[in-house]
Amino acid sequence: MAENKTSTPELRDAFGKTLLELGQENNKIVFLDADLHTSTKATGFKQTFPDRFVQVGIAEQNLFGIAAGLAFEGFIPFPSTFAAFASRRALDQIAISICFPKINVKIPGSYCGIPTSRAGGSHNCIEDLAVMRALPNMKVADPGSNEDLRQIMRTAVATPGPVYFRVTRYAVPELFGPGHQFEWGKGVVLRPGSDVTLFGTGVMTHFCLEAAGILAEQAIQAEVVHLASVKPIDSELIVQSAQKTGCAVTAENATIYGGLGDAVSQVLAEAHPVPVYRIGVRDQFVESGGIEELFALHQMTPQDIAKAALEVIRKKARSEQEAI
Amino acid sequence: MQLTTDELRHLQDMAYQIRRLSLEMITYSQWGHIGGAFSMAELLAVLYGKDMKLDPKQPLLESRDRLILSKAHGSPALYAVLALKGFMPVEKIYQYCEIGGLEGHTHIESAPGIEATGGPLGMGLSVAVGMAMGLRRKENPRSRVFCILGDGECNEGNVWEAAMSAAHYHLDNLIAIVDYNKAMAKGFVWDLMGIEPFADKWKAFGWNVLEIDGHDLQAVASALHTARWVKANGSPVVIIAHTVKGKGIEQAEFNYKWHTHAPDPETADAMLREVARNYGYPEEGYSKLEKAIEKETFYGGE
Repeated sequence: MAENKTSTPELRDAFGKTLLELGQENNKIVFLDADLHTSTKATGFKQTFPDRFVQVGIAEQNLFGIAAGLAFEGFIPFPSTFAAFASRRALDQIAISICFPKINVKIPGSYCGIPTSRAGGSHNCIEDLAVMRALPNMKVADPGSNEDLRQIMRTAVATPGPVYFRVTRYAVPELFGPGHQFEWGKGVVLRPGSDVTLFGTGVMTHFCLEAAGILAEQAIQAEVVHLASVKPIDSELIVQSAQKTGCAVTAENATIYGGLGDAVSQVLAEAHPVPVYRIGVRDQFVESGGIEELFALHQMTPQDIAKAALEVIRKKARSEQEAI
Repeated sequence: MQLTTDELRHLQDMAYQIRRLSLEMITYSQWGHIGGAFSMAELLAVLYGKDMKLDPKQPLLESRDRLILSKAHGSPALYAVLALKGFMPVEKIYQYCEIGGLEGHTHIESAPGIEATGGPLGMGLSVAVGMAMGLRRKENPRSRVFCILGDGECNEGNVWEAAMSAAHYHLDNLIAIVDYNKAMAKGFVWDLMGIEPFADKWKAFGWNVLEIDGHDLQAVASALHTARWVKANGSPVVIIAHTVKGKGIEQAEFNYKWHTHAPDPETADAMLREVARNYGYPEEGYSKLEKAIEKETFYGGE
């Protein structure tokens, strides 16, 4: 059971800090809020740049439409709301007003997946990765740590076109040291191994590292690959790692339908089929509960990842035997 | 503000050509919305022929006026007026709905002069609000943002979110125009989802409201002129333009069956001749009459 004992600030706090930093560097950045800025941690930006903070009220469709208009006029808008409302309420606006014309809008989706609050199935957004990944011209990232988020935000501003990135209400230990760079379509090997690959995105990468520790106690060498860039995805690294280990587990803080697990499986099915197991929410709404309880309920803990790894390793061995 | 005889003649010519080219492109592509294109011919003629500050040679000039066609299925009329103004060669209209040509619903990548991408109804006014805010931020007091909406489109909640925010932010550089042609895709507005009392709704949302006959060129010109100068109270302006869906072709007028309906070449030929007669121009039929239709016909309006 993963205990969230870290003293690191939550990813949403890192978001607020980086937003402020980017605001100081680039006066084209405009933050748009739909009555959630204290939850999404944009208060610092609001206080420092009141002129570049736009309140649109509780109107998410309008939020993204206004963002499109500002982008057409040369600004870099950050229309901000909970991931649930971005990916469900305002999907049409994001698709047609923003993605189709490929305009420069950076969308932070807050309160993602399991670790939100006790708000329940209406607010715990599990489908945003799948939904955003399906939109043409959209880039999608789920940061694994605070420094990763910071670099994703910096890269997003430097990359023309629409970007969706997740801002999770959760704290994980820092994965990266200074000098970490994020690049679209590039994954990172955090721990080399030869028996199984654990592909993680977002906060689940930390759980993959913990799972690798559990597996090491059983003399199993798991490779941990962090894929913050869910779209474009690092096909080359995925295939390379699977060729080495021969089986894989994916882990995402989201539904297993359409997100990272599917992206990795699609790459492998086409290029190098190996046994895969996807860790994530399995076609259920994430109802109210304690965060760690919910991770356990949905079988998304490091122990669950380790168990899945053993299973895919068994499958690999079976198919090797059959081949003989 | 009185149009001169020459101006009036010029705008009549434009409105006639907008209808002509719209029907040409809808017939040639075998897809499109005649009714909603024809109902706003005079609105577009006055906007592009007289009121808006535009330079077709510099389509992205900062000081230009912007126009978003929220009822983006009226695209033939907007593509037509842009072609007439020289934003693109007139021949390009025959690439309507072709791969790499002019998108079925207005798309910014289709032609210079298109300012946004649309299609799903109810979304354009929000984008226009964002643009109007952007112009404020850039301290550009010269430009204004026009947004043309359909009447049925105002069933959409997004329209009213945008309307609320435009008034809240005192966007008096924003002018919405509703092409109130009374018919939707499958019936009349009052039967499907009534929008009255329409002017009162906009007033209640904090807008200045002007109500005109949208086919009267002088009335359109006066309303647009007034809209430029009523902004003293810091509120956006909406022009409710009462129009006739399919105006200019008897069988299409007020007939929602022609909402989405591409005529065959012979019918188009007769329709174009009728339009010419109705507006006092020498009869001119469908220019591609001899070309057999090789495409499937979409009878979405039936």
